[in-house]
Amino acid sequence: MNSRRKKALKTNLIGYSFIIPSFIGYVIFIFIPVCFSFLLSVMKWDGSDAPMEFVGLQNFTKLFHDSTFIISLQNTVWYALFTVPLTLAAAMLTAVLLNSKIKGIVAYRTVFFFPYVASLVAVGAVWNMLFQPEFGPVNEFLKWIGIVSPPKWTASVDWAMWVIIIVSVWKYMGYYMVVYLAALQGISDDLYEAAGIDGATGLKKLWYITIPMLTPTTFFVVIMLTIQCFKVFDLIYVMTGGGPGRATNVLVNHIYNAAFIDFKFGYASASAMVLFVFVLLVTLIQLHGERKFTDFV
Amino acid sequence: MKARILAILSLAAVSLAGCGGQTTKAPEPGGSLAETGTTAVDTTLASDEKVKLTVSTWDNESSPQFKSIANAFMEKYPNVEIELIDTQSAEYNNKLTVMLAGGDSDPDVIMVKDAETQVTMKDKNQLLDLTDYIQKDSIDRSIYAGAEEQLKMDGIQYTLPFRKDWYVLYYNKDLFDQVGVEYPGDDMTWDEYEELARKMTSGEGSSKVYGTHHHTWMAMVSNWAVQDGKNTLMSEDYEFLKGWYEQALRLQDDKIVQSYANLKTGSIHYISVFEQQQCAMMPMGSWFISTLIQDKKDGKYDFEWGVAKLPHPDGIPAGSTMGAVTPVGINAKSDVPDTAWEFVKFACSQEGALVLAQNGVFPAATSAAIVEALSSMEGFPEDSKGALEVTNFVFDRPLDAKMASVRKVIEEEHDLLMIGEVDIDTGIANMNGRAAEARAE
Repeated sequence: MNSRRKKALKTNLIGYSFIIPSFIGYVIFIFIPVCFSFLLSVMKWDGSDAPMEFVGLQNFTKLFHDSTFIISLQNTVWYALFTVPLTLAAAMLTAVLLNSKIKGIVAYRTVFFFPYVASLVAVGAVWNMLFQPEFGPVNEFLKWIGIVSPPKWTASVDWAMWVIIIVSVWKYMGYYMVVYLAALQGISDDLYEAAGIDGATGLKKLWYITIPMLTPTTFFVVIMLTIQCFKVFDLIYVMTGGGPGRATNVLVNHIYNAAFIDFKFGYASASAMVLFVFVLLVTLIQLHGERKFTDFV
Repeated sequence: MKARILAILSLAAVSLAGCGGQTTKAPEPGGSLAETGTTAVDTTLASDEKVKLTVSTWDNESSPQFKSIANAFMEKYPNVEIELIDTQSAEYNNKLTVMLAGGDSDPDVIMVKDAETQVTMKDKNQLLDLTDYIQKDSIDRSIYAGAEEQLKMDGIQYTLPFRKDWYVLYYNKDLFDQVGVEYPGDDMTWDEYEELARKMTSGEGSSKVYGTHHHTWMAMVSNWAVQDGKNTLMSEDYEFLKGWYEQALRLQDDKIVQSYANLKTGSIHYISVFEQQQCAMMPMGSWFISTLIQDKKDGKYDFEWGVAKLPHPDGIPAGSTMGAVTPVGINAKSDVPDTAWEFVKFACSQEGALVLAQNGVFPAATSAAIVEALSSMEGFPEDSKGALEVTNFVFDRPLDAKMASVRKVIEEEHDLLMIGEVDIDTGIANMNGRAAEARAE
């Protein structure tokens, strides 16, 4: 082997040795369990020493006749449908407003980012108290401004999901605000100057320059948000436990209940497969859309 | 070339996973005493060799039930060291499932929090068959008043009753004295109870006193419905719950109790409601007695309270109550089964029961001496001995493998019923439908 190939090999080996630890962790904790999950979805297993039974596509046919599964799917889609645009708008707006150099701007940015790092359990408990139907501050305020019978929030089938949506937007917009802030730094001031010379006002600048220039970031944010929304579980578990009834029962709730309360690991894996396919489809659609709609940059 | 390496790696990973998944181990029955020999038990305990025993427990901070019996056992057998593996009660079943799924030898002794979980543990061969041990040591089972019989699965004794809790009626003596009303007696019907609760409700806003308090559990409706022993929560038709839901909703609508929605969303605990004197009465389990005694010692409240027999439906005798048994079993994979058995035997014996009684915990074993010990514990109200006598005891939830799944669906419907999203008839019809589905799985 000549010395050039030797050198290339050595560089490669050094490179691999850097990624091997992380890659091994990935294989053991993510890749293998995911493959196992694929396998489990066509099996029947209760998680013990008892043998696994091959049942083919039976789990999947059962799924589509399970009213709880259908409800959890509907709830998840509903949740994603509203959380994604609302979080996106909130993040983009606050990023634009906070993209200035006034004194104390870092403090403002920290305040908006803080919910993202706050403990989920604490946040859930406090929001529950705020939304308490009889004595909570939110309803007291609504009654004060004249709404005679405000909604019962988490004690109401119609409004429980909205509470989750509101809390989600509040919690997650901080992270995407930071993403947008970074992207905003990349928009050249020349564009704004040129627009200013042509007589554009603030709002026009926002609509014709800022938003189009942010489209790549927006696509990234939409994909991340959609995936995150389909995976939602912890916030719901803490705030409503999937209730009242099944009003906030989402897909991951269904998987969790099937696996750890009913001990039906095969069935739960089939449910997880559906989640996987859903998220994959949505991501593919969005990636395809990106090629068509992203502005030249 | 690189793609081929990746493909081979993936194939290897999948087939590895496949192998791992399909090992079919023939389920082994729980081990029996025959292999260890009859003298092993005595030598383990009498020897100077240190033996470590692990016991899985919950909420050690708020109840002395496990600590007291562990300490008493260690005093009797100084060479045994007991380690309590403690978890928060809400997470206990999950954590135990994970521990046992790993096939570990710990915990050696398993405290069973919800009796129905022992059915799943038996199906997964995680519990030791205690028949031989029981026979060898000639355990007297009459002291359990039939409770241990209801614990048998497939006719085999896998667990013994350690503790028994039954429902009684707590009341705030100070609040009754303030309005000059007589304390609840030991022989009230549920209708008389409702009348008394209405009488005791007074005030508005933050100074309001509710006549009584019903915690958010479904048990607060279903328990009184199963009290006569005619139906259970695994019954096929939940129509028997109707009258009880009518009463629960009536109490709520007339503001005799706090609204279910408020209690649920605020995660308001019954301990704080009673101790902050927001209610005059409260039906609750006997475990609350030791909490009340301890909290008074700690200075968390300062009023006089009493406890009476639970109200009963018309036509069945006073002292009929319901509740649950805390069974205790041995891990089939334990490495010290003989020592574990000695602990289980001690914990469920009358000797152990006396230790529990002296600590204000209600044992499963019963006798006149135990009732006397319970009523003479420090802090127990003097005129409340009647509540300790049980004439009729039914399980609040029957022991059934499907109980957990059925419970999940009927509790979801219970939620909707209590917040008024569905009317009672629709709610019960939904319960019937969904429970039938869950049972059929």
